[in-house]
Amino acid sequence: MKGCIIVRLEVPGVIQYRDIMLRTLSATCKLITPGARSSRASLFSAHLVSAVGEAYNNIALHGYAGRETGTIRMEIEQGSDWIRVVLEDTGASFDPAGARPPDLDALPESGLGVFIMRSFVDEVTYVPGPPNVLTLFKRLDEPREASPNFRRRGPAQRV
Amino acid sequence: MLFSTSAANDVTVLRIEGELDAVSVTDIRASLNTIAEGKPARVEVDLSALRLIDSSGVGAIVSLFKAVRAYGGSLTTTGVRGQPLAIFRLLRLDRVLIA
Repeated sequence: MKGCIIVRLEVPGVIQYRDIMLRTLSATCKLITPGARSSRASLFSAHLVSAVGEAYNNIALHGYAGRETGTIRMEIEQGSDWIRVVLEDTGASFDPAGARPPDLDALPESGLGVFIMRSFVDEVTYVPGPPNVLTLFKRLDEPREASPNFRRRGPAQRV
Repeated sequence: MLFSTSAANDVTVLRIEGELDAVSVTDIRASLNTIAEGKPARVEVDLSALRLIDSSGVGAIVSLFKAVRAYGGSLTTTGVRGQPLAIFRLLRLDRVLIA
């Protein structure tokens, strides 16, 4: 499915640049959500921003931990009713498919990031690098229950 | 992120504004510990001005919830909406943290 790429952004791979990425994404979400004040549009943005935020955290806090910090590149592709976000980094590979779902009844204080990421988008693909390429796809549709959907391409390396 | 605390009649109110995420959570952890150490009977976390939360922020609030519960106190959140509410619902925190 092809759309048009409307945003490319590259920032240092540290946590302090997270807000720039997310505000850019949030602004982009408004371009495909007619009636941006509707609850449906707000939910679309909230879910996608949450998912990309967790992906960014993983790269900045874990992927580049203990090694020279590279960059995080974000590319946002827009269709008529969907957005695809591609994140590239050169840190340690992390295969989100390997993360166990949390036991929510135990009120975990950590280990929630990948679950949030996978739950709030329609499709996740990951290709280990370098560069590692994580793709998140979300369609503007009715709210859905958390049902992590994951597809992996190429050999994965879990760290 | 901005936050403030106030206490009266064994109730401590913590108000958090803006973003509670991996960037800002380190700024609030010491205050969360101080609240728990004071052992108020009730802690109310006002999130009506919270714009965004991530897993790190959730971890901090859940940690405080567990600490308060451990000494027999109670913690509730109020005013949760928007993106934070979506996160709370996904993680089923709305059932235990929202009054």
